[in-house]
Amino acid sequence: MNAKAKFSTKFIYSGIESLALLAWGSLLLKYSLSGQLRLLIHPNYFGLVYVTSIILLAIGGIKAGQLFKQWRKNKLYPLDETIKHITLLPAGLGSSLLLITALLGWIIPPAPLTSHIALQRGVSDALFVNTRLQPQAFRATIKPEERSLVDWVRTLNVYPEPDAYAGQKVKVSGFVVHLPELPENYLFLSRFILTCCAVDAYPVGLPVKLTQNRSLYPPDTWLEIEGDMVTETLAVDPQQMTETTTSQRQLVINAKSVQKIPTPADPYGY
Amino acid sequence: MAQIQNAFTLFLSLLVEAIPFLLLGVLLSSALLILIDERKLIQGMPRHPLLGSLVGSCIGFLFPVCECGNVPVARRLLIQGMPTSVAIGFLLAAPTINPIVIWATWIAFRDQPEVVILRVVFSLAIATTISWIFSTQTNVASILQPFLANRINQLPTKPLSPEPIRATSMLLQSGTYILGETEKPLRLDDNFNLLSTKITEPKRFGAFLDNVVQELRELGGMLVIGSAIASCIQVFIPREVILNLGQDPMTSILAMMLLAGMVSICSTVDAFFALSFASSFTTSSILAFLVFGPMIDLRSMGLMLSIFRPRILIYLFILAAQLTFILALVHSYLF
Repeated sequence: MNAKAKFSTKFIYSGIESLALLAWGSLLLKYSLSGQLRLLIHPNYFGLVYVTSIILLAIGGIKAGQLFKQWRKNKLYPLDETIKHITLLPAGLGSSLLLITALLGWIIPPAPLTSHIALQRGVSDALFVNTRLQPQAFRATIKPEERSLVDWVRTLNVYPEPDAYAGQKVKVSGFVVHLPELPENYLFLSRFILTCCAVDAYPVGLPVKLTQNRSLYPPDTWLEIEGDMVTETLAVDPQQMTETTTSQRQLVINAKSVQKIPTPADPYGY
Repeated sequence: MAQIQNAFTLFLSLLVEAIPFLLLGVLLSSALLILIDERKLIQGMPRHPLLGSLVGSCIGFLFPVCECGNVPVARRLLIQGMPTSVAIGFLLAAPTINPIVIWATWIAFRDQPEVVILRVVFSLAIATTISWIFSTQTNVASILQPFLANRINQLPTKPLSPEPIRATSMLLQSGTYILGETEKPLRLDDNFNLLSTKITEPKRFGAFLDNVVQELRELGGMLVIGSAIASCIQVFIPREVILNLGQDPMTSILAMMLLAGMVSICSTVDAFFALSFASSFTTSSILAFLVFGPMIDLRSMGLMLSIFRPRILIYLFILAAQLTFILALVHSYLF
């Protein structure tokens, strides 16, 4: 390879590198400012992502500036060899991958996880409410109709006797999951709970008894449901998600009014 | 289509959560790499084999986060006279015994603090044990690649005590000479330190930045590949398959170790990767992943080949794999 060709390849690699840093910095900044971070990670780490975006933009900016200077002088400085790295990825692959994913992130907006993930992760675990987190703000005095779906699951987790809640008013929102093992006039109203990021989101929720067939509300529709609590006996195995011969008594929302709502901006519980 | 969207969201979520930690680790390691005087570090090393192994495993706290940065450091330390066994302990433990890695693991497994503690304890125990075993072999030529062993055998007998430059004539002395900054020939054996890393003040920031970008590029690329694999496994492999594999104590540990060896994800962020399996795999297998992955994976094997003979690499692999498996199995029976 002659000197000129070598120069331009090196130049292109450094260019991709700077672009990748700038693209990721701007993508993280966009997520921070637009609130889309809520679809991806727990609010505890919003600040961390924001700072990261600024640092990445700064490093990318400095690198791009250096490159621009070198381009005007038509001379690339030799890379500082005092710190040697052995690289395994072919030259340019690492930064290209980073650049491509950042661009994809700019083109495709993140979306809330859907009922498919809920089924994949075993929503029926939540039928018998074994959430992993301990309740953080447990208030016994809260009015039943003011509890969110996640509050209900946590309350049940603390005192899992269905009869204690029978007759209480409910007003909750969540998305629809069609559990195959529930009868046709039941749907499962669910929300994901995040402890760290969407990767560990796990679904919780409660079964809802409808007056008509659930096909009216396809999976992933967001609903606000008002009604009252009843106890029912349903034949669902919590672990295997299959029908069993032994049925279990559990809390069910008896829906009086069902309203479709748009997907909320903060679809997850924490 | 919805599933592809789900996979993409999970993929982005992993990256967005992991990149701040990756950046933090890279910044810290680049700063330390430039600030720390390696020669003083080696001078302070204890001579007792077990103690040396333990200290070697712990100095990872002072050095780069990932294998690709650690391997060159280990090479430099070896050339400057660090015992081979200590270098092995360092290479095995350094990716895990590190403040950023421990913090990231804590964030991912907040509700299972035992994962964080046992990860550190197991990694230290394994690295120290293997390092101790290798300290019985004093002949470096049988461990290291020939070119590296040759350079170490040429070391002066007391490489760490700088001697005054001899005032006599250079002309009739044998040996290798270098031209120092004064343009006077200096005997290499007496002035070995001139060849080691020496960074002048104005170059420091440039070197720091270059190191940051280099590590981000390399580790970021691996992170993208690892995240893509993790999110695809989560979305596209049926739940029954994963549960069957993940709930058995034996197969779950083996599966996670295999995965750790294959994906080669950076230790700063592998906790988030492991988190995506936490709901379907046993805690012991998650632990096995977190302990084994940073020590041995495809990428680090490739890198370590630049230091060790292939046979030694196989020993390292077998020892690390066995110890991880045993410890994880013990964990699954005790907890």
